[in-house]
Amino acid sequence: MMKLGTKIAAVTFVLLAAGPALAGKGGSAAKIQSAVTSGSVDAIVAEIERAESLMCERCVGIVTNLLEDDRYAVREAAAWWFAKRPAIKDMLATQFVTELASGDTIAVRNAADFLGRTMTYTSLPALRTAIKRTDVGADAKLAMVRAVKYMAHQSGNPVLTVAMTDADATVRAAAVAAWRDIRGQKDATPAVSLLADGDAQVRAEAATVVGAMGGVAGLSTLEALVVGDPDPFVRRNAAWALGKLGAASSRTALTTASTDKSGVVRGVARAALASIK
Amino acid sequence: MKQTMKTLALGTALVTAVTGAGCGSDDSEGPLGTDPLIILQRPKRNEMGDIFQYTSYVPKARLIKLDPPTADGTQTVICCDQDPALANIDISGYDISFDAKQIVFSGKLAANQAYGLFILNLDDGNVEQLSTDPGRDYVSPVFLPGDKILYTSNAVVEAGAPQHRDEYERGTTLQLGRINTDGTGDELGPRNLSHRTFPTLTSDGRIMFTQWDHLGPLNAGHLVFANQDMTNLREGFGKEGTGASNSTLKAQEIAPGRFVAIATARNRTIQAGALIDIRLGDVVTDDDGNVSAAARATEANATFRDLTPDVPHDNEPSVETVGRYYDAYPLDARDKASFVVSWADGPVESEVLGLAGLEANFGVYLYAPNSRGTYERRPILDDPAMWDVFPRPLRTRTAPPVVASQIDTNLGGMTLLGAMDVYQSSLKTFDQGDIYGVRISEGFSSEEGFPEMFGSTMFEGMATLGVAPVRTDGSWAALVPANVPIRIQTVDKFGMSNFSEPVWFSGRAGESRFCGGCHEDRAGSTVIDPGLTDAIAAGPTTFVAATKPRDDRKSSVYSRDAIVGVPWDGPVQAIFDAKCVSCHDGVPGPANPSYTITDPMTGAALTWTFDLRGDTLPAEFVELGGDSHFTRSYFSIVGPDMEAIEDADLVLSGTFKVYMEPENARGSLLLELLNPVKQFPNQDTGVRAFTTTPHMQGKGPDLTADEFYQLILAADNGASFFSRENNPGLDIY
Repeated sequence: MMKLGTKIAAVTFVLLAAGPALAGKGGSAAKIQSAVTSGSVDAIVAEIERAESLMCERCVGIVTNLLEDDRYAVREAAAWWFAKRPAIKDMLATQFVTELASGDTIAVRNAADFLGRTMTYTSLPALRTAIKRTDVGADAKLAMVRAVKYMAHQSGNPVLTVAMTDADATVRAAAVAAWRDIRGQKDATPAVSLLADGDAQVRAEAATVVGAMGGVAGLSTLEALVVGDPDPFVRRNAAWALGKLGAASSRTALTTASTDKSGVVRGVARAALASIK
Repeated sequence: MKQTMKTLALGTALVTAVTGAGCGSDDSEGPLGTDPLIILQRPKRNEMGDIFQYTSYVPKARLIKLDPPTADGTQTVICCDQDPALANIDISGYDISFDAKQIVFSGKLAANQAYGLFILNLDDGNVEQLSTDPGRDYVSPVFLPGDKILYTSNAVVEAGAPQHRDEYERGTTLQLGRINTDGTGDELGPRNLSHRTFPTLTSDGRIMFTQWDHLGPLNAGHLVFANQDMTNLREGFGKEGTGASNSTLKAQEIAPGRFVAIATARNRTIQAGALIDIRLGDVVTDDDGNVSAAARATEANATFRDLTPDVPHDNEPSVETVGRYYDAYPLDARDKASFVVSWADGPVESEVLGLAGLEANFGVYLYAPNSRGTYERRPILDDPAMWDVFPRPLRTRTAPPVVASQIDTNLGGMTLLGAMDVYQSSLKTFDQGDIYGVRISEGFSSEEGFPEMFGSTMFEGMATLGVAPVRTDGSWAALVPANVPIRIQTVDKFGMSNFSEPVWFSGRAGESRFCGGCHEDRAGSTVIDPGLTDAIAAGPTTFVAATKPRDDRKSSVYSRDAIVGVPWDGPVQAIFDAKCVSCHDGVPGPANPSYTITDPMTGAALTWTFDLRGDTLPAEFVELGGDSHFTRSYFSIVGPDMEAIEDADLVLSGTFKVYMEPENARGSLLLELLNPVKQFPNQDTGVRAFTTTPHMQGKGPDLTADEFYQLILAADNGASFFSRENNPGLDIY
């Protein structure tokens, strides 16, 4: 990325070849670098925000490196900074799309986070291909799900449906949670099938999505979960979902759940029961 | 002389009464009295630099009771080791019920969960979760009379619609909602285009909260009022030149019309700042020395007293012994009131602390005047590992009345907007006849799939629903979609704005928002002739666009009455292509002046020549323009991103002009040159807005009336490039 950053700066910035370019808000390349050296996420993000509109060749190189930082908050802020620099953003996006296909786990993670945060819709076809890769790990898959969620575009649905079958439970959970946040999403079916997932977090997220999207096909499974799942968060989310679905058949299960040993379930179940006419 | 304790010695520091006598454990009550204090303890952190940050999670928060409320009082953990499911909870806020028997709090149980609402029964310690969407965050709960709880949430009131995104801290916005204390009846209120946060209940039954107002150049957090049912949004404090800072938050009522609040900047201050004593109206002192300010309470009349004059109101680092205040709760209503506060010493600025690898350390203090009338800060509790925040006396309080607006079910789920006499205004002087109508526009932000910027002017997305005519008596009325942010402008007979409301507002389904005038004097009465207003007699104006679903609220054709959004690369470019580019083609000359952008540090320069063609910008200008979709015509008419120019200390020389001013078609050089025709009530090409010769005379066919209106709307709606009609997020990929 350092080489790419330098190349971009040389090609794009005619105006600011070597100036320190102190900004009206007090930002500068030196301050960004100082924050980076400190290692503090808060300092780095603060300086990136301070340099929001700063046009500075040296800044490009520094912030480009932050796109590969191990901390998501730093990568996200750096991507936000580049989103406000469209020409550079487009050049970086081209490079990152290539990384989706051939990079390792970390490279794919970084690429997906950049493409998602900069709303690079044209990367969606590449994301649909990359999610099927079997040679990258969960970090990469999670980033791809995150990217699709942020872009919230239906062209990203295939990414999520593939991710919902991933071997890693955190990927499946993230994918099903992201499903409801895609603009214009109507069909809860992919979430219904995850109500029976072997992982509690996945089941809990699926229950929420099924309830939020009115997935009546999941009704009987939810009724079983609310009284029988070993995880209180699954029972709680199932109770909430049953309240949203509002089916009379759920009364028995919710009545049982109203006396659940966990307070996070009881109150939700009682309210859900009261909402069923 | 101000005496400030810099360190706390637990068990030895004592709370002294205002009279100067007494210790924490003897008979003197002091301003704190004898009621226990409830305190929220959160593990220290540093990433809450922004005032709207609400997702921070560090496990092992707790609620404690300090009894008596002194430095040597007994601390009892009241939440949350009751339930294994709560073992890793973080708590962001809480409130005490009117009977002091329950606490409602906002808690996050694990890193992969959202903040939800919980009720703690103080009698038996039982904790139960309320039924809220597990996939959305619910924070800042406040008890309301009538067994309800008010909160803020990133849940969306409009089914299927994405929640608004804040442009600055890149987060999903918070909006108001309320729920019954038994978890039923969850309902969300109408939305602001940006955040609403830190609500509080006032003694007259209204709620007050901080609203981020972002419309064009306005970017600040102000206090606003609403009814408990989230209707009847009204100004509170912060605008009209009487504010204390960029952002005012965590207001708590001292007495009617009087509040203590935090004055701070939007970011890097860890939601902390100076303490200010706000008096919204005429100050009155009763026989007991209690001060209130309820009469003639308006933003224009408001004053404030800075209780901590050394504390920065911006986001500069503070200093040792000054620090910043996280929150304050009043203990009495004397002119110099006493408060229990949370305060941290040192810079209390997230970047400085981050560079040093430190966090702010908020502790609980009594902030009260001494016998000489000087404020002193006396320590009560400071756990060095925790933030000790939101100290509140555990005591009963009188519930205010339930305050709500009448909901009209005959409005078809829409909101009725209007005014009795639009000419009555405290912000603008109109001559009779100046105003033809009121243009109503809906706002949205990038959550609909747009890039970061709608245009180089930094305005939000806008869809114009229509123009409601002002009737003979000055009244107007219109039906608008409920729950969406609305901006109103008065327009003249040429369709150009003569005044723009600088903030968004919204109404609930069935709510009737009938103002006196156009920001009339809030302390006065609007006087009109008796009887029905003409607007009501005629019936409210209905707009076709307003009845459509969100995604369909866009232009099908671009005629005056059908236009909704104005995509620059649509009707605007079509005008230029048909009538302008034969001359204005980017070739330097009298028709195409040039200007130069220079970096004075290096001498490097770029030259731009006026060009109304629809090609996208050359690569070297894209950064200055703001988006790779922007065109030569857009750059020529609206100009470069001036914030970028300023921040980089670039110099413009030559014939630099901005031809389109956002929200100011009448003052835009483009419209002055073209000289638009009359639009309302009927289009008339024989009547011009200005006395100058129209630019097109002798040069070719003039613009049609509809084309003039397209340019006027483009300007008055913020001179943006993008609108729903050219949203790149709608394409298939």
